[in-house]
Amino acid sequence: MTGAEPGGPPFSPELLDRCISCGFCLPACPTYALTQEEASSPRGRITLMRAVQTGLLPLAAPEVTEQSSFCLGCRACEVVCPAGVRYGALLEEWRDAGWSGGRRPLRLRALLLAARQRWALGLLGRLRRAASPRRRSTSAMAGELRSHLLLGCFERILYPAVSRSAVAVTGGAVEVPAGTGCCGALHAHNGELERGRAMARRLGDALPGRIVTTSGGCAAHLAEVLGRDRVAELSEWLAADPDTLPVGRLSTDGRLSTDGRLSTDGRPVRVGLQDSCHLRNGLGVAAQPRAVLGRIAEYVEIPGADRCCGAAGTYSMLRPDDSRRILAGKLDAIEAAGVDVVAVVNPGCYRQVRAGLRSRRSPVRVAHLAELVAAAYAGGNQRAR
Amino acid sequence: MQRNVGVDDRTVGRLESIVGAEHVRTTAGAVAPYARDATPLFHQMPDAVVHPGTTDEVAQVLRFATETGSPVVPRGAGSNLCAATVPLRGGIVLVLTRMNRILEISAAELLAVCQPGVANATLGAAAAERGLLYAPDPGSRVVSTIGGNISTCAGGLRGLKYGVTRNYVLGLEVVLPTGEVIRTGGRLWKDVAGYDLTRLLTGSEGTLGVITEATVALLPLPAHSACGVAYFPALADAGRAVAGVIAAGIVPATLEFLDNRCINAVEDYAGLGLRRDAGALLLFGDDGDPDRVAVHLARISEICLGEGALDVTTAKEVAESEALLAARRCSLPALARLGPMAILEDATVPRPRLAEMVARIDAIADRHDVVIGTFGHAGDGNLHPTCVLHPDDTDAIERAHKAFGEVFRAAMELGGTISGEHGIGASKLPYLVERLGPAQVDLLRRVKTAFDPAGILNPGKLGS
Repeated sequence: MTGAEPGGPPFSPELLDRCISCGFCLPACPTYALTQEEASSPRGRITLMRAVQTGLLPLAAPEVTEQSSFCLGCRACEVVCPAGVRYGALLEEWRDAGWSGGRRPLRLRALLLAARQRWALGLLGRLRRAASPRRRSTSAMAGELRSHLLLGCFERILYPAVSRSAVAVTGGAVEVPAGTGCCGALHAHNGELERGRAMARRLGDALPGRIVTTSGGCAAHLAEVLGRDRVAELSEWLAADPDTLPVGRLSTDGRLSTDGRLSTDGRPVRVGLQDSCHLRNGLGVAAQPRAVLGRIAEYVEIPGADRCCGAAGTYSMLRPDDSRRILAGKLDAIEAAGVDVVAVVNPGCYRQVRAGLRSRRSPVRVAHLAELVAAAYAGGNQRAR
Repeated sequence: MQRNVGVDDRTVGRLESIVGAEHVRTTAGAVAPYARDATPLFHQMPDAVVHPGTTDEVAQVLRFATETGSPVVPRGAGSNLCAATVPLRGGIVLVLTRMNRILEISAAELLAVCQPGVANATLGAAAAERGLLYAPDPGSRVVSTIGGNISTCAGGLRGLKYGVTRNYVLGLEVVLPTGEVIRTGGRLWKDVAGYDLTRLLTGSEGTLGVITEATVALLPLPAHSACGVAYFPALADAGRAVAGVIAAGIVPATLEFLDNRCINAVEDYAGLGLRRDAGALLLFGDDGDPDRVAVHLARISEICLGEGALDVTTAKEVAESEALLAARRCSLPALARLGPMAILEDATVPRPRLAEMVARIDAIADRHDVVIGTFGHAGDGNLHPTCVLHPDDTDAIERAHKAFGEVFRAAMELGGTISGEHGIGASKLPYLVERLGPAQVDLLRRVKTAFDPAGILNPGKLGS
């Protein structure tokens, strides 16, 4: 694990040195698309980081602080970077150094605190009628490492149906532990890098074997800390054997509908996908959710599905106006694509895209991939939420 | 490096009144990202960054700059490799990315009219939608702008068959440093009225005027394209194969080579299954009528095998071809994985001297104890020797500079030049007089003065 020297310059030199300023990242960056301004591009931000590293600019310079927060952290730049710059890691270091103490937005402090307090989540859950996972008996296949389903801490409360669906579609193949706590992704991305890593390690200790998660953001963070092989996002887990999905994986207890496909008005449901940025850009998982959706519905690729929706973890709360500007073009694309449902694979995207479509009174609905698979699993004509 | 001229409050106020306050940046944090482009080792903070939205705004900014003597450096995406957009003397960086509209694509006239901030790939995609091709395709095409491409006369992977940017610029709208707006050329293929200022401005690196609109030629999109890869024990073998291909009367769209170091760097990045043990890789391709392309590829394969190729494969699908071309385009950044800093050069020699030149580069690198990988365009003799090193290793940087000085001299001895397609900028200006001779450099200065009497446009570069 890289890390800057304590008390020294904020960035790990080996991370910063990678960038050759070729600018190939500019077209991939949603905030650069908004401003056409170098400072709000990955290359420009790295130039700012370098200026901070060499003492040319103070870490607290207004533009430096502004750019560390204006960045979505979607990591779309990493995928197109031929020099292999680990921008996400640099951003974590940036926020870790720059957002310490009083410089962190108040709303963010409250949120990060809540994620660490089970009672606070519990209180929220009471208000929202949270999904309460019961400990299930395990029927893991002999010789296979146990897998655990991690239900997202906020998801359980805000989207209990997603959690219930995830429990249903994973059947008896994974264990569903109660009260696992937060993986720390939000903390790591928002200036509490060490705490975020420690939370992931604690979770890794509590859940040995493979951790299956319904959240792309959690998956990427856990993979970063615990190792790639310890983590599978749900679609990745489901698609491990795509030829038989959903029939093979889901029919283990015989509850699958005859053809396992979702239909509406006598035709297949048309489903698009909104990628989870960290799932796609951080873990390279893009084909799997598409394969899963293609098995249970008519899959339609929405142009720009791979670009950030503006939820970006805490971004939609911290920078609501910018978040809406990022989202606007995406909503246009979704409505133009003629889909019935947009599938999401991350709770933040769920909230963001649904709120956006609702505000437009769009007939297009939003559902987590787990919910759609569960509906197919349950059989019959489905109703996407 | 000279001290910044500085921009005072009155200047800022004036700039804001021209383009709007939201399009002027003067604080250190906001201008710092414009202190550099894609060229390593060159940095200088500008005093102000201005994003004009119209030709008229550009004209007002330039007129004001001429009055006050403030340096102005026009900039597109800042992806050039010769420090052409580094504001050596501070002043104003004039960023043209807001002017990014495609104004017209005419299938009947085979041309496009666009603003300077349009990305090359964006214009290419818009042309392709109409069944047309914008041929110049520099490696940076996803990000580099048409204005920047014209200002550096960008080349690309198709240079041998299709030529370079200068072969496609029909007309320009240009704002002179004194604020007048002129239109050179136009929509005509034939037009000999006056000196060919269109060509003069193409490759002028922002030292004579600011391009605010361009009319560029398009071609019918080739019906089909395909490519293949040949591996050779050594680059000299590939050089003979290239000579054989041209001698056979074939002018392929693509003839790119990578040396062993580059093959491995690209393979590390892209994982295409390239053969890592080969001394050289030749990427060849052609486009046009499918039958003819197939015949050409088969013939090139034969010639390569005849010259001792270890292995020749021809990609079956266009998709695969694109992956190969993409791999070649990413040679530079992929090389950057070998070390934290890559100095990329652009020496060019007559095609038959290619292998000889690469051998000389290897010898020079050994002599100066630096790591240099070479890739480039075998079809037009354009080489990209790339030195990988650490920015803190001042001794290695010194050795690299000495090595490149010798590389340029070697290229000129072989009848070549110091830059084929990247430009002179600040990075190669010291070598220009060796290439052109004092009389011609002096003429360049007089041309520059005729356009820019106050010397405000991109000072310290061409013509300064």
